[in-house]
Amino acid sequence: MSSGIVPPVRWPARVNELPKEVFVREDVFEEELVRIYYGEEWHAVAHEGELPNPGDFKTFAVGRVPLLIARGNDGTVRVFFNACSHRGNQIETASLGNKREFECPYHRWLFDANGRLAGCPNEREFSPGFARADYPLRQPRTASFLGLIFVTFSARTPSLEDWMEEIAPTLADVMLGDGRLQLIGYQKVRYKTNWKAYCDNDGYHAPLLHRAFRLLNWQGGKGRQFATRGRGHIGFESALSLASDTSLLHDPSIIAFKGTDPSKGSRVIEMFPMFVATKHLDVVNLRFSIAPGVDETEVHYAYFAHADDDADMVRHRVRQSSNLLGPCGLISMEDASIFHRVHIGNRTPGTVAFQKGVKDFTAMAHEVLQNDETGNLPRWEHYRALMGFDRVPA
Amino acid sequence: MTVAPDLLARLDMLQARYLDALDSKNMPGWLDCFSTAAAAAYVCTALENYERNLPVALMLDDCRARLEDRVTYITEIWKGTFQDYRTRHFVQRLEATAQADGVIAMRSNVSVLYTPEDTGGSEVLAIGSYYDKVCFATGEPLFLAKSAVLDTRVLPRYLVYPL
Repeated sequence: MSSGIVPPVRWPARVNELPKEVFVREDVFEEELVRIYYGEEWHAVAHEGELPNPGDFKTFAVGRVPLLIARGNDGTVRVFFNACSHRGNQIETASLGNKREFECPYHRWLFDANGRLAGCPNEREFSPGFARADYPLRQPRTASFLGLIFVTFSARTPSLEDWMEEIAPTLADVMLGDGRLQLIGYQKVRYKTNWKAYCDNDGYHAPLLHRAFRLLNWQGGKGRQFATRGRGHIGFESALSLASDTSLLHDPSIIAFKGTDPSKGSRVIEMFPMFVATKHLDVVNLRFSIAPGVDETEVHYAYFAHADDDADMVRHRVRQSSNLLGPCGLISMEDASIFHRVHIGNRTPGTVAFQKGVKDFTAMAHEVLQNDETGNLPRWEHYRALMGFDRVPA
Repeated sequence: MTVAPDLLARLDMLQARYLDALDSKNMPGWLDCFSTAAAAAYVCTALENYERNLPVALMLDDCRARLEDRVTYITEIWKGTFQDYRTRHFVQRLEATAQADGVIAMRSNVSVLYTPEDTGGSEVLAIGSYYDKVCFATGEPLFLAKSAVLDTRVLPRYLVYPL
């Protein structure tokens, strides 16, 4: 369906060009909430490894919709809307915690960690036919992959398996094959950028922006970059390369590899619309992100060890995770800076053009070179079509 | 064990030297506030992690070598890539206790305001606590360990400089 946005977004004819206005227009963001965040897409909201014990919970959001994610007394992790089933009052205010019951303070309705309504004062005076069983905490549709939990607010969204297209094996590699992960901590930051700029990083920039690669003589590993057919989920699969000159650093453990399979040493995925996950060296990082507005992107970098790691390996992952790939990391702080600066630049008129790897102005490749920036184009085409933005004739 | 007033004054001078180094982006000066012992450490983490024994931090420099590398990150590796900003740290010492080994444990409130170079508007960067361990191995007080534990769960931007 064509977008009804006025003035209309003028999308360039060439497939490698984007109109900058889509990053900064409030009306475009409001339409994205409807068509993408509350539409027929899945959104990663948590991994079961974050909530190991019955009663463990965290709060999160998709767009502006607040969620409460809890491991029930029966051991099952469920996603609820974070609103009382009575009058809609926010149920839980903490970011993380452990509770066997959630009480709404407004009228003292009480829910167990499975979401069932366990008590509601003055029940005999309620409307005819009232039954507690009809008033559990409401749940969006959920599905999971190796413990990674997704939600969708549409009944028409395809199954998670179909929606993931060909990205599942790469995502499994990020989660160390079996997804048996244990949380080792968070880094949380709210970037002053649009969500699409946050997850539009490319294969071209890495050796150029990140001076550490050059200073450490750290070459890119051999591997592939691909985009799935359909939504354009992006996967980078590389064998690990190691820095050949670590003399710049007094403690080279920051870039040491202690895992067992270097062929699976480096993985990055960027799933539509904005879920990024990476496994690099021994860092396992799932970036749960929220788009609360056109100018803001909140990212919860969640770091994990594997359930079978010994104490030394956990310690190594903690030391590497803290300093390597987050909002203050050795080879990632610069990305965070770019998120802000690209957003400022996107307030200027006109279009931007991807160049590295572009061979055709009318067709997109789904298998590209690792240091190309063309891997992002199929996802942009999915976005354009979903938003109903028509291309202007060439 | 309580700490004598003259010693408190020396602790405060160390803290002031630390804050002044950061607020003037003097990274070698920041490093000089730490002990030269191999175990000298700086950690910056969110209270959310700290309270739950989740060990990942925003910055985990748990040895002198990493403190030295932190200076390299800022002065060499990241140079020219970020939007620079100026900080102002405000610190209030709450308690200081001498341990049996002669190290002094000190707890303070800290708030950090910042002014980005490009916008010029000042905002809160983070607030929280400093947990410091101060040693006197060379006679002068130096940080053997400094932990910045932030109430600020969600940072308003990426961090370039330690807090």
